[in-house]
Amino acid sequence: MIFIFYIFLFLSIFFAFFGNIGMLRFPDVYTRLQASSKCATTSLLSLFIGLMILKGFSSISVRILVIAIFFLLTSPVASHAIGRSAYEGGILPWRRVRKKEDISEDK
Amino acid sequence: MLITRRKLFKPLQKKRKEKVKSVNVHSKWKIIRILLTTSYLMLGWIFFTVNLAPFSLFLGLMLSFAVAFFTYDLFIEKEEAARRSLLPRIYLLIIYPLVLLTKVYLASFKMIIPVISGQSNPRVVHFRTRLKSELARVVLANSITLTPGTLTLDLDNDHLIVHWLDAKTIHSHYAARLIKGHFESWLKRIWM
Amino acid sequence: MSVFVIASFCFLATSLLSLIRIIIGPTAQDRLVGLNLIVPQVVAIMVLMAINFNRAIYLDVALVYAILGFISIIAITKYLKGKKLHE
Repeated sequence: MIFIFYIFLFLSIFFAFFGNIGMLRFPDVYTRLQASSKCATTSLLSLFIGLMILKGFSSISVRILVIAIFFLLTSPVASHAIGRSAYEGGILPWRRVRKKEDISEDK
Repeated sequence: MLITRRKLFKPLQKKRKEKVKSVNVHSKWKIIRILLTTSYLMLGWIFFTVNLAPFSLFLGLMLSFAVAFFTYDLFIEKEEAARRSLLPRIYLLIIYPLVLLTKVYLASFKMIIPVISGQSNPRVVHFRTRLKSELARVVLANSITLTPGTLTLDLDNDHLIVHWLDAKTIHSHYAARLIKGHFESWLKRIWM
Repeated sequence: MSVFVIASFCFLATSLLSLIRIIIGPTAQDRLVGLNLIVPQVVAIMVLMAINFNRAIYLDVALVYAILGFISIIAITKYLKGKKLHE
């Protein structure tokens, strides 16, 4: 039981770390939002699943379930709100600049 | 552009609302809306205070009825009440989060590859959905946000604007088929 | 030191990384992305502390913090709605 919990805890810290790295590396708001929102949700969900497996059926695990459902509902809504405010504020999405050789090959 | 279109349609919507009023089915639907909101709030109360003592249950029922009486108009809109959109098929609604959870895990593992390599080809795609219920559209937009490399930027009636990391096509029809996947058919079976 | 304390220190270290984005972010939305990433990590630390001290009442604090983070992000995006980038 505690071994499964360790696996989930490791996954959680792993996803949190890579979400932060992605947010620092990517070029514009939208791509940063993609990295951060997905990795944050997954990291928190795997932590909660691990804790629920550790604690079994008790008052603590039911409350953790409530927080997990709340996060699954609200985290996409929050990222959607930030994305829409950026889109309406006129921030253009970053696009990969094609090299000259690629364009000449296409023609 | 979107704002002007909304303004054009406003008089039409007003006419439709007046028609509904003349039939006068609202008093019946109002009670059903209040009771549904009360039951949803009560479910949240029982989950959070893991306590089945009669006094606690009574207090929760009273409080959730009081909250539902003032806020039923926000939770359940007038047009939504008549459709079969509030009582989903329960067995499918329980399977759907499990399907979503596996998809979320796969999405996060796929997300790590562009994070490490720094290679991405982001584009903005527009497409439409065929779902009728407002709640089902919101759930579709949220599940698109949670699946690999896609992020919903705007949802206006049935028109979705999606930011797609690593875009394979910008053609609306094919992009819609690739992004929506099986979610739309699942949600159509749950909420109409 | 138990496992929970070590794990919460790991979350503290990763949330310091997202603090960098809040400081250097060129636009207001970039800073909001950083804020949106800090909230789940602080909730994770709170839940781990609740398990460590074995008190269910700390989980209420975590839930309230999650609700407040969500509402604050919605409120700030509402506030930024009318503003263009170069004005």
